[in-house]
Amino acid sequence: MIKVQTQPFDVGEEHGALLAQRTDIGAVVCFTGLVRDFNESPEVQSLSLEHYPGMTEQALADIVVEAERRWKLQGVRLIHRVGRLEPGDPIVLVAVASAHRRNAFEACDFIMDYLKTQAPFWKKEHTTGGHYWVSERDSDKQDAKRWEMS
Amino acid sequence: MSLTHLNSRGEAHMVDVADKAETRREAVAGGRIHMRAKTLALLAEGGMPKGDVLATARIAGIQAAKRTSELIPLCHALALSKISVDFTLNEADASVDVTATCRLNGRTGVEMEALTAVSVACLTLYDMCKAVDKDMSIEGIRLLSKTGGKSGDYQRSLDANRAVGASSMQPDVSAEEAPASRGGLLDIAPIVTGKCFTGSASVSLGEERTSVSVKCLAELRERLGVSDINVPFTALLEPTVGGLKSALEQQDERFALLREQRVLCAVNQVMSAEDTLLTAGDEVAFFPPVTGG
Repeated sequence: MIKVQTQPFDVGEEHGALLAQRTDIGAVVCFTGLVRDFNESPEVQSLSLEHYPGMTEQALADIVVEAERRWKLQGVRLIHRVGRLEPGDPIVLVAVASAHRRNAFEACDFIMDYLKTQAPFWKKEHTTGGHYWVSERDSDKQDAKRWEMS
Repeated sequence: MSLTHLNSRGEAHMVDVADKAETRREAVAGGRIHMRAKTLALLAEGGMPKGDVLATARIAGIQAAKRTSELIPLCHALALSKISVDFTLNEADASVDVTATCRLNGRTGVEMEALTAVSVACLTLYDMCKAVDKDMSIEGIRLLSKTGGKSGDYQRSLDANRAVGASSMQPDVSAEEAPASRGGLLDIAPIVTGKCFTGSASVSLGEERTSVSVKCLAELRERLGVSDINVPFTALLEPTVGGLKSALEQQDERFALLREQRVLCAVNQVMSAEDTLLTAGDEVAFFPPVTGG
């Protein structure tokens, strides 16, 4: 399940949906990304998230397919919000279910690393002093590189 | 050329249209209201003290078009068959573009109705937002296109648009409404960000198969001041992404920005490289490195 939406999501609900009527799942790892009130500048008041409709959904689906190819998974729920968000708001949810914890931990980590470097989302931060587009981080690229297969 | 609302003695009179043939008439008018960035943000998120700004302005525009004959002395009362008012929020220069389309089958043109709709929609935007921003300015109210009738079709040329102001872009007209309107090379569509995805059809049916539709996203769109642009396929010396960049640069030197190494490209929504082959009808997007998550 992949969703790009403006409205908030409920981690508990998504967790429950992943487990509904299943008894073969041994582990669920949920990652929630939140808006911080400090980033490139100290006083972030809000964030606008832009995306490229169409390509976004496809890019996210490709990442999930790749995760399912690499690890034995029993379910993935991925939600990314767009539009205007405020500090404390959840931005992204990745919930991964598998029989054993290692697969779920690694697949969740992988999905987030690829999402940060491949999916067409852009953040603009609004602060007391004006607004600016968030620049890409080298550390995100390095993180994604960890998963490159030799 | 003479002024039809003056008779031979120079007195104002209403034109008798009884003998004119009924034709399908359509007019599209546009205008823009500039505001502070904060005001636009508040408008976009629905935080204005008077409530839903765009919905109210839209209804005001539609109502105004219907009452044009009460406001403009020598205008006929018309039974319009269609009135639509659309808004596009431009985050880059903190403004809202207003476009109105009026249509009917009849004996007289509907441009006054479209212009009135835009004017009153702009005034309503002002009224709805003035509590937080009194510096707003309304500008560039103008006829964009007109079809039907004896005087023939009219399409505002890009040069005429430019005269309104350096940043002025042609508000978008949906494909079915003005097929003739997408002729210009630098066919700049308005910027659409955040959750305001209104009125943004960017390609007409006829041109789809003969041109490449280019999108500039996020920071790149703001730096270039361009959101959507159609490039005729024949303008590409080489049918690749690199060839497209050259063709764009030829049109406007600002597009040299696309040569920056950090600029990414997707062809038909798939990440692509400089030598990726293009065909007519492709959608090519340029954007900065992604920063989601």
